[in-house]
Amino acid sequence: MSRRNNKEKAIEVALLMTSGVTIVALFLLCIFLFREGALLFGDHSLVSFITGTSWYPSSSPAKFGLLPLLAGSLIVTAGAIILSVPLGIAAAIYMAELADPRIAQILKPFVEILAGIPSVVYGFFGLIVVVPLLQDLLSLPTGQTALAGSIMLGMMALPTIISVAEDAINSVPLSLKEGSLALGSTHWQTIYRVILPAALSGISAAVMLGIGRAIGETMTVMMVTGNTAIIPGIPEGLFDPVRTMTATIALEMGEVPQGSEHFHALFAVGAVLFITTFIINLIADSVKKKYRLQEEA
Amino acid sequence: MFKRSMLSVTTLLVVMSLALFGAGCVGNNSDDGGEAIMVKGSDTVLPLAQAEAEVFMNENPGKYVSIIGGGSGVGIAALIDGEVDIAMTSRAMKDVEIENAHNNGINPLQHTIAWDGISVIVNPENPISELTFEQIKAIYVGDVSNWNEVGGEDREIVVLSRDSSSGTYEYFKDEVLEGNEFRADALINPSTGSIIQTVMQNKAAIGYAGVAYLGNDVKALAVDAGEGAEEPTAENILSGAYPLARPLYFYTDGEPAGLNLEFIEFISSELGSETVLEVGYFPA
Amino acid sequence: MSKNENIINIKIENLDLWYGEKPALKDISLDIPKNKVTALIGPSGCGKSTFLRCLNRMNDLVKTCRIEGDVLIDEQNIYGKDVDVVDLRKRVGMVFQKPNPFPMSVYDNVAYGPRIHGLSKSEVDERVHKALEDAALMEEVRDRLNDKAFSLSGGQQQRLCIARTLAVRPEIILFDEPCSALDPISTSKIEDLILELKKDYTIVIVTHNMQQAARISDHTAFFLLGELIEFGKTKHIFEDPQVKSTEDYITGRFG
Repeated sequence: MSRRNNKEKAIEVALLMTSGVTIVALFLLCIFLFREGALLFGDHSLVSFITGTSWYPSSSPAKFGLLPLLAGSLIVTAGAIILSVPLGIAAAIYMAELADPRIAQILKPFVEILAGIPSVVYGFFGLIVVVPLLQDLLSLPTGQTALAGSIMLGMMALPTIISVAEDAINSVPLSLKEGSLALGSTHWQTIYRVILPAALSGISAAVMLGIGRAIGETMTVMMVTGNTAIIPGIPEGLFDPVRTMTATIALEMGEVPQGSEHFHALFAVGAVLFITTFIINLIADSVKKKYRLQEEA
Repeated sequence: MFKRSMLSVTTLLVVMSLALFGAGCVGNNSDDGGEAIMVKGSDTVLPLAQAEAEVFMNENPGKYVSIIGGGSGVGIAALIDGEVDIAMTSRAMKDVEIENAHNNGINPLQHTIAWDGISVIVNPENPISELTFEQIKAIYVGDVSNWNEVGGEDREIVVLSRDSSSGTYEYFKDEVLEGNEFRADALINPSTGSIIQTVMQNKAAIGYAGVAYLGNDVKALAVDAGEGAEEPTAENILSGAYPLARPLYFYTDGEPAGLNLEFIEFISSELGSETVLEVGYFPA
Repeated sequence: MSKNENIINIKIENLDLWYGEKPALKDISLDIPKNKVTALIGPSGCGKSTFLRCLNRMNDLVKTCRIEGDVLIDEQNIYGKDVDVVDLRKRVGMVFQKPNPFPMSVYDNVAYGPRIHGLSKSEVDERVHKALEDAALMEEVRDRLNDKAFSLSGGQQQRLCIARTLAVRPEIILFDEPCSALDPISTSKIEDLILELKKDYTIVIVTHNMQQAARISDHTAFFLLGELIEFGKTKHIFEDPQVKSTEDYITGRFG
């Protein structure tokens, strides 16, 4: 009897240690990130970092303004969401409710394959196909714009949104659907009046996952957005080149001497990126909770 | 039963800890290079170093040379941090970088392994075929924004540059921009390949790239630095007539030995020099 | 049987139903009278729920389902070519075994039907109030119209579902074992409700509970293994069954 208890205890301890390692690693990462970033503010003011409109790390004196990078990330992500959310939800509705089950069965693995394509492949495709297309179609001086970034990120977020939203829609109990149809509603009325509202917590989770993927994307945006650190106007900034926080870190981290001001500035950008993602996750959680409570039977 | 599950749990934990702690111990940085070395840095030198490495490894089975790009700055930083055996660069190390290296116990030693030309490139359909230094500088600094201001079509110029970790970027900034900043709306490309791709696709684009990257997809301009417009041909570069010719370097930590020395000496051998020419550069 | 006592509302003629290759209903013929309660009884798996769902074409949702035969409501075959199923279901409502209110407020649940049928705001409001009254629920939810439907008890939720159906003003209401998930008190409330409702609606109710059938129905149909064994006035079925298997079922020889 006590041998069994010991065994249970030992397994518990082992699992605790394993999860402990994960949490400790994450914690240490955070501390490292924020500490290295904070070291910038010894010589450089926090206010000028947050409100600065120029990012010129190699001029003297160096200028580290966050705004163009933050604005770049935000506009590209916003564009990606506007493109991928309606499309993704529509596709999910089609696959879950309207398509012939055989067609849906074929489509589903395709969607999963799309989700597995590496981001550098998307970036390459974006550079070779999407950028010149935008250039010609919209008569832009260059197709390397926030819009190109939004399109590519939208494509990348799409499979995630479709998958999760489709699962959410499929999880709506059949009884709700039957109840609506039995009252003399059309299939379409049932979808938008009963099924979608009932699946809202899952659908908003899908959207949040999509946003999360978009805002953290590095390789693809680096290849198609032009990487100019200028604050984009709204909405015309969509047709101009922009630079995201992620691309900045990727482009400049390689050559920065350890411990230099530029080094710390890049970590500060990384910290802002972390905070942004964190806030999005918080919002996602609260949205999910709000809708789940509404659904609770 | 008890023993078996305890054993598997313990094994799992041990393996995971080893993975966690062992993950850092990759690669070797011994001074004589052992049987494998790593060369990192300039995208301009990259095609040359790769070609040399291939031929070298063919001639010397059992010896491995790995080449990684990323920009001259990236290679130098890696050398200073003691992560690589050789840094390849398309520019000289700056004083502050040399100081940092010394502070880290690294003694950078410069070797010129080849010569390169920087071409200024435009789309093949662009009617312009030559520009002066002043004109190129004006375009890149932001004073000129339309092709018709330099004798071309009425079209907004799309200005392409590398990112700041590129040696080509630094060289261009020193030689052509004379230290001034690039214009704020220049499109920053993470690689020279990306610049070539963009110029290929865009009639309004102007960019710069090492001559090894030239092909039929882009047009290289003749450049006038005050003594007549010269094209970036082999003769002009070797003779010094083409104004944008520069040495390509390998930096080692102190005097090279072992595989490092073998590789560097190989490049200046007859086979190595042939390879340099094949790639499109010029033997030192 | 006097003339106005038994006007036939639904006429089923030689109905066969298959799920794929498997026959589930065999040659069912039945006349369901207007404004009466007709109960469908029989052991599990006998096809009574399947049969019920034929009357408002809910079986259309099952892809493998195939039907032959006629179901005539007021002389019109509901399986005919040009029949509008959506319209049919406005005339033939259904209350399900487990209460299935929508994740909305009490008011919105009942208003759902009238709203999708395009009624004006005041008409909707009128229907909601009347339906809640007719479903004997108004007293209990008068102050809670904007509360979530899920905050009601099981019995209240089922009456809410009934109100929801009533708001659409159907002619016929189908009940599929409506009390099986409820406690005895709620059950008796719903049984009383059904007895009230039959004045204005034709009611067909599937039930597992023979005593319930005996209590509230005017006519009873006994199903076994997909066949209609016997149909008649409830009194006769329970006191004087003609077929042996009916008698065996009634007396509890099998369940």
